[in-house]
Amino acid sequence: MSGAESGTVPARPSGSLLRKIAWHWRHDEKRELWIGWWTLVVFYNLYGLLFFVVARTQPPPSPSLAPAEIVQWFDDRHHGLIYGYAIVFIVGGATAIMNATLAYTMRRMSVSRAFAYSYLVIYALATLPGMLLMGVTCTVAAMRPDRDPALMSWLYDLAFLSFEGTMGVFLIGSLIWMVAVLLDENRVFPKWFGYLSLCNALTEVVIAPAWIFKDGVFAWDGAIAWWIDMVVFVTYTTVFLTLIRRLILREDFGTGVLPDLPSEREAAEAAREPSGLLGTAG
Amino acid sequence: MTDVAGAGPGPRELRLAAVDPDAARDHVPGQPDMWAFVLFEAFLFTAYFTVYMVCRVQDPELYLRSQAQLDLRIGAFNTLVLLTSSWSVARCVQSAREGEFRSALTNAFLTLAFGLVFLVSKVLEWAHEIEKGFGFSSDEFFSFYYFLTAMHFLHLLIGFVVLGVVVHQLWSPARRSQELVETGATYWHTVDFLWVIIFALLYVMR
Repeated sequence: MSGAESGTVPARPSGSLLRKIAWHWRHDEKRELWIGWWTLVVFYNLYGLLFFVVARTQPPPSPSLAPAEIVQWFDDRHHGLIYGYAIVFIVGGATAIMNATLAYTMRRMSVSRAFAYSYLVIYALATLPGMLLMGVTCTVAAMRPDRDPALMSWLYDLAFLSFEGTMGVFLIGSLIWMVAVLLDENRVFPKWFGYLSLCNALTEVVIAPAWIFKDGVFAWDGAIAWWIDMVVFVTYTTVFLTLIRRLILREDFGTGVLPDLPSEREAAEAAREPSGLLGTAG
Repeated sequence: MTDVAGAGPGPRELRLAAVDPDAARDHVPGQPDMWAFVLFEAFLFTAYFTVYMVCRVQDPELYLRSQAQLDLRIGAFNTLVLLTSSWSVARCVQSAREGEFRSALTNAFLTLAFGLVFLVSKVLEWAHEIEKGFGFSSDEFFSFYYFLTAMHFLHLLIGFVVLGVVVHQLWSPARRSQELVETGATYWHTVDFLWVIIFALLYVMR
């Protein structure tokens, strides 16, 4: 039980950051939700850093590299792949907390629990093609660089097809979230987020041609299959992180409509009573 | 089917808005959120069209040669059918605003019928092109042709679900949210608008 529930909550300290964190840890009734949100923020940033900067497996290389070039590609990234994916495997379990936080948003809605449960199952499965399979394959290739180039090419294809080509797994997840948002009567998220989820879901479809093409805009490194989708994905992720933060700030732990933020409530009340404000000003 | 939440003002309020010029001027048709979707889709398809144009500029002969394999008459027929469906969905909105729900329903079903004609003609066109030996990976032009038309096809399929919501709203006097009817119409117009650009890029532009 948190301090907030015990009824003896000391005032929030205004001193150092550490003291503030300690206060939230001991007394904030939204502690678990904030842990979930911060896990999302830290994980996505770490994920970007590890895949783009440390392992350098993103943006993806060309699918049409020759076997000798593929061996060279793995060799160039040897330490990045080994150490980068070692960290990925350590923090990979954080997806459980992330998925729980995302599912919580649907549990707070007025819709059936089936939405949150379906979403949890899909995203638990998606961790495999969306992260782990590529990590395992790349580190297997990096661990013994003296392997036959034909085998290295096989690992290269497996790594990128399993990662880029399976984004369709997320299609149904986005659609579940979309329907939940559109049906919800508790105003957990604005309706436009539902429509943005549809937009994101449609871009997951676009990746399917990566199984057919070895070069051009539809290949796994192509302008349409990767670059445009990445812009949509980053936008979508930034938007839902912002909206979940607002949800936590608004959360009243009830089952009905989520209240507005206090600042927005005051603005709405002020807009409803313009004469009072004018009278004060006058 | 469940009512979509946030249905907003009912037909009576919006009929009043249609009569009062000030209210009508301030009124955005449908949910403002759907207009955000229009904006997202406009950005996304602009990106696809830009990539198409950049690729086309790099090999104009190939694009012209492959484009000649398409039948302009089918593209024009598709465009005519979708523009007519936009007209019928606009009539549906207008009828609902005036409280003429039977007429609104008839126009919603007409829109569905035009949409179906478009879908069938598109499938037949694809089958015809594949029969001639032009598949998804035949050349770059045909990759774009199948990609853009299939993406549009997907939007149209979603459009049938959206029209289903519109029909569901119009069916019972207990529902009839004008806002949802207009939201559905906005989606349908977007699908039509995207097709007009796809038609111009794939069939017309030389």
